[in-house]
Amino acid sequence: MAISLRQRLSAYVIMGILLLFILIPLVAGALTAFKPQIIWVSSPPVWVFQPTLENFEFVFIQRQNLLHLRNSLIIASGSVAIALILGVPAAYALARFRFRGSKGLLQWLISLRMIPPIVVALPFYVLFQTFDLRGTHFGLILAYLTFLIPLVIWMMRGYFVEIPSAMEESAMVEGYSRLQALRKVVLPVVTPGIIATALLNFIFAWNEYFLALILGGRDTSTLPVAAATYVGRARVEWGNLFAVNLIIMLPVIILTIILRRQLVKGLALGLVE
Amino acid sequence: MKVVLQDLVKQYPSSSSIAVNHVNLTIENGELAVFLGPSGCGKTTTMRIIAGLETPDSGHVFIGERDVTDLASKDRRVAMVFQNFSMYPSMTVYENIAFPLQVLKLSKDEIDRQVKEAAGLVGVGHLLQRSSRQVSGGEAQRVALARSMVRRPEVFLMDEPLSSLDAKLRIQMRTEIKRLHQETGTTIVFVTHDQEEAMSLGDKIVVMDHGNVQQVGTPQEVFFNPRNVFVANFVGTPTMNMFDGTVKPNGGGLCVDLAGIELKLPERFPGASTGMPVKWGVRPESVKLVDDGQPGDVPGTIELIEALGSRQQVFVRAADKLFSAMIDALHPVRVGENVHLRFDHRGTHLFNAQTGLSLAEPH
Repeated sequence: MAISLRQRLSAYVIMGILLLFILIPLVAGALTAFKPQIIWVSSPPVWVFQPTLENFEFVFIQRQNLLHLRNSLIIASGSVAIALILGVPAAYALARFRFRGSKGLLQWLISLRMIPPIVVALPFYVLFQTFDLRGTHFGLILAYLTFLIPLVIWMMRGYFVEIPSAMEESAMVEGYSRLQALRKVVLPVVTPGIIATALLNFIFAWNEYFLALILGGRDTSTLPVAAATYVGRARVEWGNLFAVNLIIMLPVIILTIILRRQLVKGLALGLVE
Repeated sequence: MKVVLQDLVKQYPSSSSIAVNHVNLTIENGELAVFLGPSGCGKTTTMRIIAGLETPDSGHVFIGERDVTDLASKDRRVAMVFQNFSMYPSMTVYENIAFPLQVLKLSKDEIDRQVKEAAGLVGVGHLLQRSSRQVSGGEAQRVALARSMVRRPEVFLMDEPLSSLDAKLRIQMRTEIKRLHQETGTTIVFVTHDQEEAMSLGDKIVVMDHGNVQQVGTPQEVFFNPRNVFVANFVGTPTMNMFDGTVKPNGGGLCVDLAGIELKLPERFPGASTGMPVKWGVRPESVKLVDDGQPGDVPGTIELIEALGSRQQVFVRAADKLFSAMIDALHPVRVGENVHLRFDHRGTHLFNAQTGLSLAEPH
């Protein structure tokens, strides 16, 4: 289908307007992160100023947000790693084998994804208190796995279903066990899918606020929880808040840019079921 | 190696019909056996059981003298070429062919030597460094062949390896498989639904339907002496003319009454008896068109003509039945012309309408 100049133009205009809506708050926020305190909330907003790192110095050194950054990194990457290690083989099994209850299992898994975190917050709190998991990195990782593993299984299953089973069968006839065939011929093909899955899961775990607030302790709170402390009852410390926000956004943006090719390939690979 | 299937039964849990129904079969060492049948006839399942990719519900598989029924695929020393898969996409042509050798822990030089030898044999020696995306469908299928060869399997299993290729390439690859078979002398089991492919390749053809072996024989046997109605209809293009009829006495012998046409039966059908409901068939190649009829010829009118190069297929309406005749393209015919059909009695067939079995004397 040929796209006329007019259609193309209107597409660009619509995208431009959307981008403005998305980017203006981001840019304004990013700028505020570098503003000295006196012009945080000046009206009209100041666009040209001498940038300063004092906000970053404050949040990282005085408020020890560096520790929270570390917590976020440990918990997000830890939960993504475990979710992949458990979810990818499960997805493969659900893609390749029919067994008693396999269909119900899949539906149950997707239903886990639909539960809003607030539903599980209270029972989790009680459980975590009982098992001494509150305020531990592992506890929060465990809580996130409830949401990450179903996502990994559903995404990865889609990728595996797309691959003809003759691919592993061929390897199995050629002298390899099923596990070896999975590792040597199937996994290389779904690598873009694994990367896309990992990234989406990482974003979920990295951004998550509610469970981290409830189940995290003083020493294990994550960056989103730390960021919220700058929103006080009486006033909002905008510069500090945006400094932390910038640090929260950066890894996601950088990862997405580095992996964008794999990501597009991975998102195009599956999810067509 | 010789392959023996002993009373194989396989039923998929999700299906009510039996995929493989008590199949007994011996494929001799060095033979090229073709499993032929429509889709869902059990031919692929039978092959997958030989490969160890499916477990039979009961029965045994022997390769040579070894009972391999409980052996994993990787330990069976068979090679398989698939219909919908040819190359590992993450590997180059070279890596693909080397893949089955890597598990054998051979030296690098030895692997290199064998990869090049196999690649040369199927004509992909110049493509070794290409990735899977840089080769055509036909080349990819040759790579699959080379990959199946390097392990020097005792049996080659080929599951419709040519059906995804275009017509010209398919015929070319068919010849190469035949050549490969002659050069290596390895037993090959080949699955296809294309009866022409089966005829041109097979030393032995195993016709299957509904999980049952319908007939085992040489291409000539299944073509000229089909054991039952299914084989008669399935083998041969264009398909056999076949009509319902009843056996009647005729002078000293028997004739078949096809509702409007009475044909004297030759003595090759000892199974026929008066009053028996039958199916009478004749291959289009055994139907001749003659201008002046003699007793025994059937008058009719030409309804349709299909040119097929050196031959032409002529459809003749006679006594409300449509006969097809395969005749020389140079024989002048036109639509609407009145002709007489003359049947070569060596090309006629008679089957019991109830059992479907041939009434001809066994060969």
